[in-house]
Amino acid sequence: MEQKKYRFFGIPNRYFVLAFIILGYFAARAYPPILPHIQLPAERVSHEPLFTLPGIGPFYWTNTLWAMLLVDVILIAIALVVRRAASSGSLVPSGFSGAVEGLLEVIYNLTESTAGKWAKSILPFFAAITLMVLVANWIELIPGVDSIGILEESDHGYPVKEVMPGVATIVKGEETGHGGYMLVPFVRVLSTDLNFTVGLALISVVMTQVLGVRSLGGKYFTKFINVGGLFSRPIFGVIDFGVGLLELVSEISKILSFSFRLFGNIFAGSVLLFVIGTLVPVFAQSGFLMLEFFVGLIQAFVFGMLTMVFMSQATAGHGDHGEEHGH
Amino acid sequence: MEVAAAKLIGAGLAMIGTIGAGLGIGVLVNGAVQGIARNPDASGNVQTNMILGIAFAEAVAIYCLVVALLILFVG
Repeated sequence: MEQKKYRFFGIPNRYFVLAFIILGYFAARAYPPILPHIQLPAERVSHEPLFTLPGIGPFYWTNTLWAMLLVDVILIAIALVVRRAASSGSLVPSGFSGAVEGLLEVIYNLTESTAGKWAKSILPFFAAITLMVLVANWIELIPGVDSIGILEESDHGYPVKEVMPGVATIVKGEETGHGGYMLVPFVRVLSTDLNFTVGLALISVVMTQVLGVRSLGGKYFTKFINVGGLFSRPIFGVIDFGVGLLELVSEISKILSFSFRLFGNIFAGSVLLFVIGTLVPVFAQSGFLMLEFFVGLIQAFVFGMLTMVFMSQATAGHGDHGEEHGH
Repeated sequence: MEVAAAKLIGAGLAMIGTIGAGLGIGVLVNGAVQGIARNPDASGNVQTNMILGIAFAEAVAIYCLVVALLILFVG
């Protein structure tokens, strides 16, 4: 097979890379990037609340919700492409749908080797969470995310300069304090919003309990409130009861560790990208984008796989799960 | 001391906790690599469990990071 030439319009790709580096150098000289004001909660896009729940407070449309819609659109597009390939009649999928098939095969084999006969119930959660978190993390790699948006007056603002009619950029300069402008991006990475990660963690942990009850019935709850041996085996029964209560605590701490693991990794990643972009505006960010590519992949896989492992432990019953997993 | 300075010092101190996670991940990967070297056929299984263990060890470091970020960027 002839080796593929990586060309675009007849020009080898490496010249494009070189051209972009030189272009980036001049762009960074003309408009030096500044460190944006980093804030933990997602920026509000709408000024009036969408709706107000009594007792909880107003709800705003945030820029992470736009990212959520973007992720949904991408996932639905992937599903439609794969569906067309699957219904076309050819048994061997090619190209993109082949890659998706490969990914799902890896996920299915992993689930089946861990969960056995419950693999068919557990696989949808594993696959859906992995794909969703993967796309949500990789949104970070698209140019323009976190850097294109609306300029708004802020207390930590900077002076702005109009580049074209209607398009302006923030200029490097002294922080003007009140009266300056700050960027509110249109799209912010979905996983940097704690609401998203807590939501996924709740789905994962609650569905773990549901699957446990489905497989073991009411016996599932004896894992938490273990009074079976309390009278027949005086000392060990009490220890078993305490262990059951610890299981209950660990079930709740799973929500915390799930949500903060994903949130912390991706938020720290985007702060890292901001800082590197400010310190070394030319080319250095590319290396860190590659690091973020891996972090996004690993975190998506870890979230999905931990869900799968906890679900298969819940369905397996407590006779055969050996030593306790303390964490 | 000024509040801003104390915040920076506090964020730095919060990250000390990552020492534990680093040691833990080192011990984990040490064991996993030795296991794979002795029995290369089991490498898939060992890797899966290693990644799980790393995720648990790393979670502690991430808590430190979240605390540091909260100190720096909230309030």
